Amino acid sequence: MSSALLFEQLLNGLQLGVMLFLMAAGLTLVLGIMNFVNLAHGSLYMVGAYLAISAAQWTGSYIAGVVLGLLATLVVGMAIEVIALRTLYQRDHLDQVLATFGLILFFNELIAILWGRTALFTTVPSWLQGHIELFSGSRYPVYRAAIIVAGLFIGAALWYVVARTRLGMLIRAGASNRTMVAALGVNIRLLYTVVFGFGAALAGLAGLMAGPIYTVQPGMGEEVLIQVFVVIVIGGIGSIRGAFAGALIVGIVDTLGRAFLRPMLATMVSPVAAERVGPALASMLIYLLMAVVLAARPSGLFSARNV
Amino acid sequence: MRRELVFWAIAVLLLVAVPPVATTLGQPFYIDLVRRIMILAIAAVSLNLILGYGGMVSFGHAAFLGVGAYAVGILAFHGITSGWMQWVVAVAASGLVALAIGAVSIRTSGVYFIMITLAFSQMLYYLGTSLERYGGDDGMRLRTTSQFSGLINLRDPVAFYYLALVLMLVSMFLVYRLVNSRFGMALRAARSNEARTRAIGFSPYPHRLLAFMIAGAMCGLAGALYANHTKYITPSLMSWQQSGDLMFMVILGGTASIAGPVLGAFALLLVEDLLSGWTEHWQVILGPLLVLSVIFFRRGLAGVFHKPHA
Amino acid sequence: MLEIRGLTKTFGALRASDGIDLEVVEGETHAVIGPNGAGKTTFIDQLAGNLRPDAGEIRFAGEDITALPAHKRARKGLARSFQITSVYLELSALDNVALAVQARSGRTGFWRSARSDPSLTGPAEQVLAEVGLAERRHMLASNMSHGEHRQLEMAMVLATRPRLLLLDEPMAGMSGEESQRMIGLLTALKRRQTVVLVEHDMDAVFRLADRISVLVYGQVIATGSPEQIRANEKVRKAYLGEDA
Repeated sequence: MSSALLFEQLLNGLQLGVMLFLMAAGLTLVLGIMNFVNLAHGSLYMVGAYLAISAAQWTGSYIAGVVLGLLATLVVGMAIEVIALRTLYQRDHLDQVLATFGLILFFNELIAILWGRTALFTTVPSWLQGHIELFSGSRYPVYRAAIIVAGLFIGAALWYVVARTRLGMLIRAGASNRTMVAALGVNIRLLYTVVFGFGAALAGLAGLMAGPIYTVQPGMGEEVLIQVFVVIVIGGIGSIRGAFAGALIVGIVDTLGRAFLRPMLATMVSPVAAERVGPALASMLIYLLMAVVLAARPSGLFSARNV
Repeated sequence: MRRELVFWAIAVLLLVAVPPVATTLGQPFYIDLVRRIMILAIAAVSLNLILGYGGMVSFGHAAFLGVGAYAVGILAFHGITSGWMQWVVAVAASGLVALAIGAVSIRTSGVYFIMITLAFSQMLYYLGTSLERYGGDDGMRLRTTSQFSGLINLRDPVAFYYLALVLMLVSMFLVYRLVNSRFGMALRAARSNEARTRAIGFSPYPHRLLAFMIAGAMCGLAGALYANHTKYITPSLMSWQQSGDLMFMVILGGTASIAGPVLGAFALLLVEDLLSGWTEHWQVILGPLLVLSVIFFRRGLAGVFHKPHA
Repeated sequence: MLEIRGLTKTFGALRASDGIDLEVVEGETHAVIGPNGAGKTTFIDQLAGNLRPDAGEIRFAGEDITALPAHKRARKGLARSFQITSVYLELSALDNVALAVQARSGRTGFWRSARSDPSLTGPAEQVLAEVGLAERRHMLASNMSHGEHRQLEMAMVLATRPRLLLLDEPMAGMSGEESQRMIGLLTALKRRQTVVLVEHDMDAVFRLADRISVLVYGQVIATGSPEQIRANEKVRKAYLGEDA
């Protein structure tokens, strides 16, 4: 295993982590502030991907596709919030889970009706194609590097908003004590809709970034969503910091595991056994990690709540 | 009480009557349909034990269906076709997996518990897809149904139907005795008021873990039955969609009763069957129906007969 | 019976308990009073095991229970009532108390019905009669009045045959008549039980307490008989505006 390969996989892990972070940030905020479990978050990821691809095809411009796709996802997100989800804030988590589960079924099928069930193929725009030279002669795809840069930038921007602005203060206060914020006269409804819409836009962004790299098909959101859950459990509910840390950990562990576990096992046991056990173990790795973290810290690493 | 018993007697009679009636009408398909519903009803009843009575929102219950089904499938693959052995392993394996998952998850609560159980069941789903030898993503056939030394032939649809019916009634009875026993009352107390329960001297964790194991084991039995029913075992049996379906059955039927999950299973699966007959895209209709049912329909079907009791 | 040494609990910058030293003698009714925010409920929570102290030691009948979880303390005979009434609303009064009896018995079962088990319902009915709820035993807790909830909670506490009662504001929210009934109940208990009583109702405190400790800003500033406390300068100052 060469160091160039290791470094490349590390970057891939970082790239996955950054995308997981975009999704986790929105979801953990909604969870922390509104105490709302939103399974349909994955659907927003999917919607973002599909709308951005269609908008790009329609306008002929990648950038226009991105902007329109994001806006559209934002609108869809806020529409869902106002129409279906508002009534559920007071209900228990079980009801929220079931209702958003129904939404997932709806969106998956709607996308299938409109675009079909086969995977949608999309390419990286020409100005993001190619590779860049890293040190030691290794190369890395420009597109993936762009994702990493964009994700880190957004992460920094989010940190700034949450830690340094008034809105961020409201968000942090809301995450640790919702009733108090409402009692202080803040327009809670508006805050909720804004937070939800913001989270939806982030999910949509992750979705459209995913387009060229991962499969774009109905149901693509749920696989990511469950990984996002692992991120939130590890990082702690309501904490952007936790979402960031958790996302990077999950992204890197998962990527490195899939790349290197089988070869590593093959040096210890027979190649045949490694072939059998390796891939299975690699796909289970992040869940085992989650179990270990939970055993030590049942509320995650950076939980914003007291409990 | 009297009204309930009458309702029960009628329901059981109706179920008993399905095979002869369906055969006479030349519609054997209904025997299969109702049998499938009853098997999944067993899974729903087991979920209700921990969700309705235990207050644990487990979003990964379908994992145990998978463990039970694969236990049967894998043993059959290796030539062990004895139903006695297969089904005992199915139940034991599911119980053990439940112990492992529960030991880690039950320390958490609320949202974390939901996410963790979902994550663990997804882990098992991935494990299933990566088992190339046993079909991986595509799953595997069950060439011989579980053999029970000639006592019953599961290839006979009617005999299998009545076995499923009996097992469904037995599992309901077991849960009934369990939730009204000392153990069950302590479990329900922990759900009703956790602080008060600790204050009188119960520790919720062991009760919940044991209930989780029992529910897992019972669901494993449902999995073994299901494998014999479909004669095809795939990882999708453990998917989160299946877990969500199970939860809906429990909620639709009403969590405060033994029969609720059974009613919910019939309601949900009959609706699914009906809708899928109309259109290939039936989920686009079912989805919003489910959302609406959650928003408006709080008590559940069985609440019509039962006043809310603990 | 209860020895507390150096009990300390901080929440961020707030010292809710600041090195509390307290002793409760067997058989006495020991009241803990203090202005709002003095840390009384935090104190009870640490004694009952709902909160872990940052420092200090709690000994119950000579045994160190500082690290013992709440349900184990209950098993050892340390029972508590909650400031905000905490009963099983979906169950009848009898079922509520029967659960407490079941907890004390330490025996479990997986088949026989607990609700119709005379070894549970018998003692439960007895305790209910003691607190005066005999006629209400089949009434659903959610249908009961606030005062009856308090009585029910007392019944559950007593059903566990405690050696020490921790009562967190048992008078809170009671009407005059209900208060008198509760005071009567507690007076009857005085003879048989050791009680630690956190209360605001000074009438009740001075009628029931053998000794009183005054908690201010997480510290015990005075301990003594009711007369001593009434005359104490520090207490007077701390309670400016309260009638003592």
